[in-house]
Amino acid sequence: MENNGNNEYVRGTIKTIVLNLLAERGRMYGYEITHEVKDRTDGEITLTFGALYPVLHKLEQEGYLETESEAVDGRLRKYYSLTTQGSETARTKTHDLARFVEAVKLLLNPPGLATD
Amino acid sequence: MKRLPEIRLADLSRYLESCGLVSALYPELLDHLACEVEERLWAGLSFEEALRTAISEADPETLRLLGIEHKHLLAMEQSLDDIVFEGRNQQYGAYVLRREYKRTVQRATLLGVTLFLLIFLLPNLYARLVPDPDEREFGFEVTFEDVVLIKPTVTPPPATPAPPPPAVKTVRSLPPVVLPDNQVPVDSPPPTLDELEGAQPGEATVDGLANVDIVVPPAERVVRSSETVLEVKPEAEKVHLYVEQQPTYRGGSEAMAAFLRKHLRYPHQAARVGVQGKVYVEFTVGADGTIEKARAVKGIGFGCDEEALRVVQMMPNWVPGKQAGQPVRVRFTLPIAFQLE
Repeated sequence: MENNGNNEYVRGTIKTIVLNLLAERGRMYGYEITHEVKDRTDGEITLTFGALYPVLHKLEQEGYLETESEAVDGRLRKYYSLTTQGSETARTKTHDLARFVEAVKLLLNPPGLATD
Repeated sequence: MKRLPEIRLADLSRYLESCGLVSALYPELLDHLACEVEERLWAGLSFEEALRTAISEADPETLRLLGIEHKHLLAMEQSLDDIVFEGRNQQYGAYVLRREYKRTVQRATLLGVTLFLLIFLLPNLYARLVPDPDEREFGFEVTFEDVVLIKPTVTPPPATPAPPPPAVKTVRSLPPVVLPDNQVPVDSPPPTLDELEGAQPGEATVDGLANVDIVVPPAERVVRSSETVLEVKPEAEKVHLYVEQQPTYRGGSEAMAAFLRKHLRYPHQAARVGVQGKVYVEFTVGADGTIEKARAVKGIGFGCDEEALRVVQMMPNWVPGKQAGQPVRVRFTLPIAFQLE
């Protein structure tokens, strides 16, 4: 599995990814999130639901997310959306991650080698 | 758009159930898996294939971990009750009771305090709401009636003659009266001066030696008066309470004390009980000095009264009391003391 290599990095950023997506899209359900992530990264990053749902639940318990259930096609679909506290956190986390990624880029591609 | 039919959905849910998924997670994961399967169906896979790939992602092990993780998450906010009742029948009632306990106590306390205060404040409240009617608000209907004056018929009590004042008891006591010679009852006339010449006054007239040394007092000159003798009746019949000369025990109080000491016996009964005190014995000393009508006026009981009476009646004759020189009957009260040693 090719994303196994990514999992290590995904694990640390999954919270931020979820919060960022929700900040963008308003409200989403679990499958929608994995689908969206997969779509945007061309399958480079996949969120297995074994990884996604614990994060969702944890965020919910911490008060960053709120949920509402809706019946769709004979089954209950649970939608997640950000609370005000959640959107605040989403902003800072996204910002933090962006800076981190920049820093990692600098590490991986030293300016001297970038041009070759 | 291909939607999963009910039967396929049932297959999925059966699978999830077989993995022993926590009920709280169940609907969410079912939806997720259903979406996955649908996606694969759209991609042109058969249902069986789609299911297989979907399930390969959600293998039992993953589901189990998910469940455990969820449980841990819940445990953070779980109360003791939830832990105690984990895996037990929570429908039974005890769980609900325990969970609701805090709220029940709160409600009960509030209710109790409210009721308690209400009970105490109710009289006050009542008094405030229903004030006592003012006395001035009462009206009285008064009807006047003519008063018929009844003239009291005063009948003066028949003038009864005032009872004569009780006769004051008086005792006839006359000074010795000097009477003319012819009126003096002559029993034994006093000896004349001539007879006393050379003799002494004595009980009988005895011829003896004349004592020359005796000085004869000069005879008093007697003035004769013309008053008549008044008969003095002996008042033996009457009992006096107080007379000029009270009756006395012959020999005086010392002798009486000695007599009492000699004859008085302390009654056994009184001695046993330890009774002490005085017995007042009232009796009448006759004109001749005899003791009569003795009785205990005030006693102490236990045989003492009887003993005192006995001794008093044993007493020899007293010296009678005298009034105007005449022996009379006198009532006398004698206290006799009984004292234990």
